[in-house]
Order: sequence, then structure tokens, then C-alpha cells
Amino acid sequence: MMQDPLQTSLRIAASGLQAQSTRLRIVSQNIANAQSTGSAPGADPYSRQTVSFESEMDRTLGANVVAVKSIGVDSSPFKLEHDPGNPAADEGGMVKMPNVDVLTELADMREANRSYEANLQVAKQSADMLNTTISLMKDA
Amino acid sequence: MQLSSVYLFEVGSQKAQWLSARQTAIAANVANANTPGYHAVDIQPFSAVLDSSPIELATTNPAHMSLPQSETGALREVETDPAEQTLSGNTVNLEQQMIDLGEVTRDYTMGSNIRRAFHQLLLSALK
Amino acid sequence: MIESVSGIGSASLSAGVRSPTAAAAPAQGPSFDQALAQVIGSAVDTLQAGEAVAIQGIQGAAPPMKVVDSVMAAQRSLQTVLAIRDKAVSAYQEVARMAI
Repeated sequence: MMQDPLQTSLRIAASGLQAQSTRLRIVSQNIANAQSTGSAPGADPYSRQTVSFESEMDRTLGANVVAVKSIGVDSSPFKLEHDPGNPAADEGGMVKMPNVDVLTELADMREANRSYEANLQVAKQSADMLNTTISLMKDA
Repeated sequence: MQLSSVYLFEVGSQKAQWLSARQTAIAANVANANTPGYHAVDIQPFSAVLDSSPIELATTNPAHMSLPQSETGALREVETDPAEQTLSGNTVNLEQQMIDLGEVTRDYTMGSNIRRAFHQLLLSALK
Repeated sequence: MIESVSGIGSASLSAGVRSPTAAAAPAQGPSFDQALAQVIGSAVDTLQAGEAVAIQGIQGAAPPMKVVDSVMAAQRSLQTVLAIRDKAVSAYQEVARMAI
């Protein structure tokens, strides 16, 4: 049975909201851990995480929703800082810092917010259209 | 000289269905605005829907991910300027989608109000 | 629907009203029943125009202002006709109730 297109669009928008909020969560996590070094000498610090989306066909809806394909780990090299007093400092006094660039993360956060708002707008509008349709039957 | 308004209600209903299908296309585009390789889609214009009777289901390239097949026709890819593609191959222009979204709301409200007005008109005349 | 409305308007009123007006106001513009027929006639036109513009509006060929104006004008004219019809019917009923 074919789903009503308006309800389908609501589900699609909902999947978008879900995906973007996952993205926001990962970005916030990255920012929060931008200074998280390892605990043992020479240990690896927090590794930046990335989110990748994919479009997948939802059988019940007959529609393409978006989903988080995977939460990956950024394998770019860690920055080295000279901080001999740090528990993670190696023999040379160098500490491996997380490969998180806060400015990049903030830009990503703004983008994710923008997409989130857009999905919200779509969801609200679909709901409004459904309500308008139903209220057509209302007596004057 | 009958004012039964049958045609008006039929066209109004078709337009509402077409607008719902368009809303679904916009929803898919917005949800996939950050999906790599995703190409924006849209549905055929309303004039095409009016011309064809009954409204048939044209299929686009079946290799493409198909979006909800509503009664008002299939979804086709929008031609976008290749320069507008992102590095990941995404062609969704979010601003354009928002503008289209506004258009859909206005047309839908207009259509609903027209139908409601004439519906009430006919009902009151029959009382 | 519109046919029945026009019918009631012109037939019952003009039949009952013809004699007095013919004698009382022979040379002062249109008679009462003629004026009534005009009102109902123009109402039918307004209604049809309203419907046509509304269809154009749905197709996207007419600007919203025009659609709104036509539809509201159609609503107003129908209300007028219905008011006339209701008055005509109640007047007729009153006359019918009069003791002979």
C-alpha cells in the first residue's frame, strides 16, 4: 500500500533530523575532546571522529531516507606539543594532541545546524499541509 | 447554466496531489543535502500532469534511486550546473529547496481555501 | 442549483408583484421584478467568473489577488441571491397563509 506522500515527506524529514543531530553530537564530542590527551606516556590522544551519510531506500515507505552510514575515525596525524609535565609526554617531552581543529569543527557545526533547521522546516510544513487538508472538512 | 463546479474540484484535487508529491521530493533533497553523490530531484511540472489523462507513471532511469512513486508521476533528476556540485558530488542547493518549499505551502493553502470556499458556497446554496 | 435560485427569484415574485408595480410606477426606471432579475443574472455571471478565475488560480495562471477578489465577489453575490430567495419564499408563505 502506497503511503500518503505528505506522511512520507514527514518521515524523510525526520530521518534528516536524526542524521543531522547525530552529526551535531559527533562534532560536539570532537570539540569537547579537542584537548584530551592519552593517559600513559606516548599514548594516543582522542582521535577526531567523522560522520558519513548515505541515502537508503526504506522499503515500507518506498522512499529514500538518509542514514548515517558510519562513524569513522580521522586518521590524520596527531599534532605534537612540547609539554614535559603531561602524563602522556614521551622521553622527549612531546605530547600527542588530538587531531581536532576547533575552527573546522565549529564550521561543521554551523553547517549541521543549518541542515537541521532546513529539515525542521520541511517537517513543519508537511505537518501543516496535513492539518490544512483535514480542516477542509470542518464546517464553516 | 449549472454551477456544479465539478471541474474545479477535480483540478484542485490533482493540484493538491501534485504539491504533495513535490513536497516529498523537496523533503528527500533536504534530508540528503549532505549525502555524498546525491543528486537533487524534482517532479514533472503541473501542466504536464494536466495534459496527461489519466496521470501516468513515467519511469526515469531505473538505476537511479527511485523516490516515492505518487500517482502524479515519477521524479526526475534536476539538471544542475556542474560547477555547483560539491566535492563529494552532491548537487542539492539548500536555498533553492527552501524557496520551493515556500512555494508549495502557498499553492497548497491557496488551493485548499479555494476548494473550501466553493464547497461552502455550494452547500449554502443547497440549504 | 443556480437555475432553481433564478427560477424562484423571477417567477414567484414577478407573478405576485406585477399588477401593483405596473399601475404604481409605470415610467420610473426598471420595475421591481426586472431589477430583481438583473441582480440574479449578474450574480450568476459573478459566480461563473469566480469559478473560472479560481480554476486559473489552481493552475497557477492567475495572481492570488485576482483569485481572492473574484471568489469573494462570488460569495457575496451568492449570499445576496440566497437572501432574496429566502425573503421571496417567506413572503409567498405569508401570502398563502392569509385568510381569504
